[in-house]
Amino acid sequence: MSESILQFAPWESFVSPTFWHKLAELKLDHDRLSDAQRSISGHYTNRKATGCLLEADYTSFNSSGQPPKFSHAAVGTIYNKNTIEEFKALDKLTLLSDEGKKLLADMCSDRVATDPSLLTRFFVLSFADLKCHSYYYWFAFPCPLTPTLKLQGAGTRLKDLSNSSKYVEALQTLPPDVQNFFILYANDQEDAVEARSLSSLDEKEVEHYYFGFADPSEYEHPAWLMRNYAAFLLQRYPSFIGKSLRFLGLRYNQQMQMDDSLIWNVVQTEACDLNETEDVKFVGWELNKNGKMGPRMVCMRDSMDPAKLAENSVNLNLKLMKWRLVPDLNLEIISQTKCLLFGAGTLGCAVARNLLSWGFKHITLLDNGKVGFSNPVRQNLYTHADAVAGNRMKATTAALRLRDINPSAETVGHVLEIPMPGHTIGESLRAQTEQNLLLIEQQVQAHDVIFLLTDSRESRWLPTLLGAAYEKIVINAALGFDSYLVMRHGSSRDEAGDSGREIVGLKCINGNQLGCYFCNDVTAPGNSLKDRTLDQQCTVTRPGVSNIAASYAVELLVALLQHPQRELAPAYYAQTGRHQSSEDSGKVPEGLLGILPHSVRGMLCNYENILPATQKFAQCIACSAPVLGAFKNEGHAFLFKTFETAKYLEDLTGISEFKRLNSEIIDFDDAEFDISEDDED
Amino acid sequence: MSEMTWKDFLSQAQEFLKISEQLGDGWVLHEKDANEPNTFLKYSHKIKCQESKDSDFTLINVEYHIVYSVSYQVPMLFFQAHRSDGSLLDLEATWRVFMPDTASKDLYQMLTQTEHPVLFRPFMALHPCRTAEVLDQFGQPSANRVLTFISLYGPHVKLQLANAYGLSK
Repeated sequence: MSESILQFAPWESFVSPTFWHKLAELKLDHDRLSDAQRSISGHYTNRKATGCLLEADYTSFNSSGQPPKFSHAAVGTIYNKNTIEEFKALDKLTLLSDEGKKLLADMCSDRVATDPSLLTRFFVLSFADLKCHSYYYWFAFPCPLTPTLKLQGAGTRLKDLSNSSKYVEALQTLPPDVQNFFILYANDQEDAVEARSLSSLDEKEVEHYYFGFADPSEYEHPAWLMRNYAAFLLQRYPSFIGKSLRFLGLRYNQQMQMDDSLIWNVVQTEACDLNETEDVKFVGWELNKNGKMGPRMVCMRDSMDPAKLAENSVNLNLKLMKWRLVPDLNLEIISQTKCLLFGAGTLGCAVARNLLSWGFKHITLLDNGKVGFSNPVRQNLYTHADAVAGNRMKATTAALRLRDINPSAETVGHVLEIPMPGHTIGESLRAQTEQNLLLIEQQVQAHDVIFLLTDSRESRWLPTLLGAAYEKIVINAALGFDSYLVMRHGSSRDEAGDSGREIVGLKCINGNQLGCYFCNDVTAPGNSLKDRTLDQQCTVTRPGVSNIAASYAVELLVALLQHPQRELAPAYYAQTGRHQSSEDSGKVPEGLLGILPHSVRGMLCNYENILPATQKFAQCIACSAPVLGAFKNEGHAFLFKTFETAKYLEDLTGISEFKRLNSEIIDFDDAEFDISEDDED
Repeated sequence: MSEMTWKDFLSQAQEFLKISEQLGDGWVLHEKDANEPNTFLKYSHKIKCQESKDSDFTLINVEYHIVYSVSYQVPMLFFQAHRSDGSLLDLEATWRVFMPDTASKDLYQMLTQTEHPVLFRPFMALHPCRTAEVLDQFGQPSANRVLTFISLYGPHVKLQLANAYGLSK
């Protein structure tokens, strides 16, 4: 008879996500800093086995776990370390040996005989990085290194035995809970076949025994657990040494037939008393995915980090848009674009929320106000409690709320006053103003997009200037009582983008020739809060106006970001007459999300929008060359001069001269706008 | 169009479970809480798969849920697969494993990630918008439309019912 060394199919650990969920929960709520070992259980099935799996899930931590149906229990321990260093530094050989000795002690006592599941042994060394939701782990299946078992002949299928139908019949009488380890007694002379429990073992009857076990291996080799089974039998019954022992690996298919069960005749010729042997060696660490001796790591962020879950769900919504309607939508650009919001009031709150909806991640708010009692109803990031508290600053509160809404957003609020032309700064405030200027400049440089959402004209001057000076995308939204203006400022980037296409009936202005908020003005912003009644000082608007304007502002930005030329994209407007005929406007070239206008002016009183585009003004008090030049050369000194008196700007740009010559073109756009109202009559 | 009521779904799911229990193939009826629709059929198995064309075959566990969709009034097939280390297959990985030959632009119309109506977690789902229509084509002979649904939709995501389901009465 041919003899070969019997090999075993090694265990493959198979962990359910629920195992990590439970481990995290126990660590946080119970174990905390304790890294004491913890008893766990695993399970394996011999029904339609795939691989040779030892499975662990949340039930593994139950104190008296019932294995799932058609499965058997394995007995284990988890050593969950507190730090990655402890995890790495732990002596793996010693741990394996300690665990092995516990197994050995069980084998040599009566414990295994009464509960053979103790033979199916495993332990896990782990470290749970709960901040990053990463789990480092290493399974081991300890087994004493005993003399080799020789396989006599090849494994035989149960079906191929002459008496197989009788064996099957006997095996069917075996209750499921003792099928993990059992004895099949088969005495052919006496025609007696009987399935028995392992505890009934009588060593004199060994020649009639099949040592049965539930075999989770799908391979020709028996599962690793048979190694401990054989070691246990040979240790407990030394008379078995040198004898041919028959092992029956019980394997079910999906239909619960056991035809594929295998029988191995094995013999261990060499005697070995594990109790006598000094320093028994143990084996059993699982190889990692690369087939190397080493631990594994799994990142569970996607399913365990609530912030990540929210992020994924938000993206899911946006991806649906990409999948179904706009396949070329670039969501990456959106998530990477950093937005700086000047003003955290009605417009600021609404813009910020719209940004979140689109998947923007980086939002910074600048504002100097406190949340007041009148604010929460319109400013949708604040609550009454914020006002009651009396000291909650809008910028920081808004940043906090944005993170409450989407924890993966990176939001910051800075409380500061925006210096304004014509708002003289007293000596005592000069140092503070210097500091604010530095912070504002630094913030503008650190962001890609600047939103102008303050409630006065002059507070938009500095951000307009800085946006132009640092070549940022600037989106501006301003409100009247029942009207709004939303616009993108012309780019100050000098590079010559492709010129816009000439289209009959349409005038085209290239993106770097478009005007800013101040380009249509022939006065420098002064102190507009001076000499005003209360209703003029507060922003009195129909409430819907701010939400409409905020939505347009964000949509305009997204359309711009998705346009191949971005802020250099040209804007078109109808040349003939004030009304863009639908025929002409139909010709305006579209980007990914439709046309990209320069500005949107709308009225609630007639529910109408018009889309004017205007040129840069060479004497603009915010974005013209003389102003940018003076800022570049003189820096803060220049700014302080403008804060002192707005007249300085008018002189610098030559606009005072201009004003004197021709006052008829004042508010050209507004005049145009007013006419459209008249037309309604 | 014949949509299905929640009560129909529940009673047919229970019938389905009876057949499964006779066959011992491991389906269970999972009842989450008392807020209807709270119950779904659940089954899991392991499959060998390749996550990409050149990678080795690995084993993944797939858990299937047959859930009632209130909005579409039809059964929906939700599923989620995880690897041996417990990590979930994301949508892209799920597409690669379950629908490797489908053009990417068609994928979202069939298999997308959406919120599980009972568990309120993102789950993979086969799109339900034509389920009522498809089930209708099977007309009256289908005594159990939950069973018909699983046997029609399951094979697209490696879920095969035993032939015995078709034979049982």
